[in-house]
Amino acid sequence: MNQTCQCLPGTNIYQPHLMEIVKIIAETEDTKTFHLQFQDPVIKGAFSFLSGQFAEYSVFGEGEATFCISSSPTRMDHLEFSVKRVGRVTQALHHLNTGDAVGFRGPYGNHFPLDRLEGKNLVFIGGGIGLAPLRSLIQNVLDNRLDYGEIIILYGARSPQDLCFKYDLEAWNQNPTVKMITTVDAGDKAWKGKVGLVPIVLQEIAPSPTNAMAITCGPPIMIRYTLLALEKLGFTPSQIWTTLEMKMKCGVGKCGRCNIGPLYVCKDGPVFSFEEIRNFISDEF
Amino acid sequence: MYKKIGREKFLPWLSRVKTQAQVFAPVRENGLWTYGEWKNQDLPESFLNSRLSPKGLFLESLEPLFGWTSPAGPLQVKPVPSSSGPRVIFGIKACDARAIRILEPVFSGNFPDGFYPGNLARTILLGVACRVQCPGSFCGEMGIDPQDSANCDIFFRETPQGRIAKIVTGKGKDLVEGNDLWVESSQEEWESARKEIKGRREKPLFDLEKVKDRIARRFPEEDLWQRVSAKCINCGACTYLCPTCHCFDICDLQVPGRGARFRCWDSCAYPSFTRMPVHNPREEKWRRYRQRVGHKFYFYPQNFQLVACVGCGRCVAHCPVNLDLREVLLEVAR
Repeated sequence: MNQTCQCLPGTNIYQPHLMEIVKIIAETEDTKTFHLQFQDPVIKGAFSFLSGQFAEYSVFGEGEATFCISSSPTRMDHLEFSVKRVGRVTQALHHLNTGDAVGFRGPYGNHFPLDRLEGKNLVFIGGGIGLAPLRSLIQNVLDNRLDYGEIIILYGARSPQDLCFKYDLEAWNQNPTVKMITTVDAGDKAWKGKVGLVPIVLQEIAPSPTNAMAITCGPPIMIRYTLLALEKLGFTPSQIWTTLEMKMKCGVGKCGRCNIGPLYVCKDGPVFSFEEIRNFISDEF
Repeated sequence: MYKKIGREKFLPWLSRVKTQAQVFAPVRENGLWTYGEWKNQDLPESFLNSRLSPKGLFLESLEPLFGWTSPAGPLQVKPVPSSSGPRVIFGIKACDARAIRILEPVFSGNFPDGFYPGNLARTILLGVACRVQCPGSFCGEMGIDPQDSANCDIFFRETPQGRIAKIVTGKGKDLVEGNDLWVESSQEEWESARKEIKGRREKPLFDLEKVKDRIARRFPEEDLWQRVSAKCINCGACTYLCPTCHCFDICDLQVPGRGARFRCWDSCAYPSFTRMPVHNPREEKWRRYRQRVGHKFYFYPQNFQLVACVGCGRCVAHCPVNLDLREVLLEVAR
C-alpha cells in the first residue's frame, strides 16, 4: 500500500489546493457534510484517491484539520467530507457557506485493502461520525457489488438524532443485497430500530467469520470493544480492519505526533489490520 | 585529503569565503553561545557548544510555509520566497553535524519537504574537533567521535600552528582548492593532531546496543516509565534544545486582507501535543516522556535505521529538574 504524492516535484507540500464548497448537508445538530470541487479543472482531472485515505482541510486564518474523504472514488463528480463541530477549525468550517473556498491537501495515508476484500462477506461496523470512512468503502463496494459476497452494515449512534448519513442508511436499508442494522444507545418514541451499544448488538447478530472480513471505525472506546466482540465471534486479527484517528498536523509523517508506538497513523495508516496494531492498541489508543 | 592553514591566515581565508557565501559562526548573544552571522570577529577558542542546537538554521523555529491575500475578489494563495543562496557554518560540532544528517530522512522520502533538504543543499558545514567533554554529554556512548566527522564538508583539528583540515566532500574541496592560504598536509599530521579530551570518561555510562535491544520489551512497562519521568515538569526545554527533536505544529496568522500559515517547533512534553476533542492518547506524563525516549531509541531506529540522539548532553545539562537521560537509558538497558 504505497502512497503516491500527487504534488509536482519542487512544489510546496504544505500549500493546499483551493476547493469550492458546492453543497452542505446538515447531518445532525453538530455534524455537516461538505461537497467540494477543485477550482482548477486541471487538478480536478488529475486527482485520484482510494477509499480510506484522508486529507488536510483548511479554513484560511483558522488553521487545518484532518478528515477522511467520505465519498467513494467510484463517484468522482465531487469530494465529500464530514465534520463534527468540536474545535476551532471545525467551528470555522461549520460557518462556511456554499461558494466559499477551503484549502485541501491530500490524499494522504494508505487505504482499505480492496484486493483482500474481494470475494469475501463483508461486515461493516460503524459508530457515530466513524461511519464517514466506512461510507467511502461501502459506496465503493456497492458500485462493484458483484465482486463481493454478503454485506452486513451495523451502524450505531448515541440517539436517533445523532445518526449521520440518514439518506445513505435509508438507501442501504432498501438495498436487497445489503443487511442493514441500525442501533442507538438510547431511543425515543419514534425509534423503531435496535437499542444497544454497537459491540453488544454485534454479538447479537453474530456474523459468521467464515470467508468474512470485518471493517470497523468509530470512537476509540467502541473500536476497542468491537475488536473484542469480533474475536469472540471467531474473527482472526487478520480478518479485522479498522481506520484510526490521531491528532495530525502535517499528514505526511514529519510533524511527529500521530504515532501509536512505532506506527505513524498518517503514513503507516490510517487503515490497519488488527494484526498490525494489537500490541499497541490497548496501550496508546 | 588533508590540508593545513596557519593560525594568522584562517580569518583572512574565512573572509574570502564570505565573498561567496553567507558565513555563520559561534557568537555570544545575551551571554549564551549560538550560531550567528559572522561579522569578521575573532573566533572563540574555548567554545564548548551552543545552547540551542544549530538545527534552527535548517528547521526554523518559526517558518512561514505560504501566505495568502484576500482582497475583494477570490482568495489568492502565495508562496513565500524560498531561502536561497549558499551558506557556510563554521564551528559546528561532530554531534550537531550528525544530528542534521539524522533528520534528513524525515524531511525527504515520499513527500519531500522542500525547506529542510533545500537548506541542507545550500549549506557547507565546517566542523571543529572538541577538546573538552561538554557537561551532560555522552557522545562517546552514542558512537560519535568528537574529533572526527563524516557529516561535515570539512572538519578541523586545531594545532598550536593553526588548523589541519580533513576535506570530506567535493563541496569542501571546492572551498580550499587552489587557495594559496592552504598548504598540503597528511594523514600522519591529522592523526597527530588528535588531542586528549578534557573530562572524558574512561568507562561508558551505558551500552547503546543494550538500550536498542531492550527498549521494545521495556516500552510497555508502565512502572518503569512512571519512575523515570516522576520529576519531569513538562517544560519541554529538552525538546527545544535537542538537535534531533523535529516535531512541529502548523498554525495560521491572519490580519484583515492577508495571512500566512506557519510551522513552529512543538514538543511531545505538552499534553496538547496529542489532545483531541474527546480523547488524548498521551494525557499522562509518563506516556509523554516515554514517547520522547521511544521516538529516539525505538521508533526512529525501526523506521529509519538511525538512533535519533547524538549525546550532545543539552537535555541533561539544562533540565531544570536534573532529569538525566543517561540514567534513564541505563535503566532501560538493565
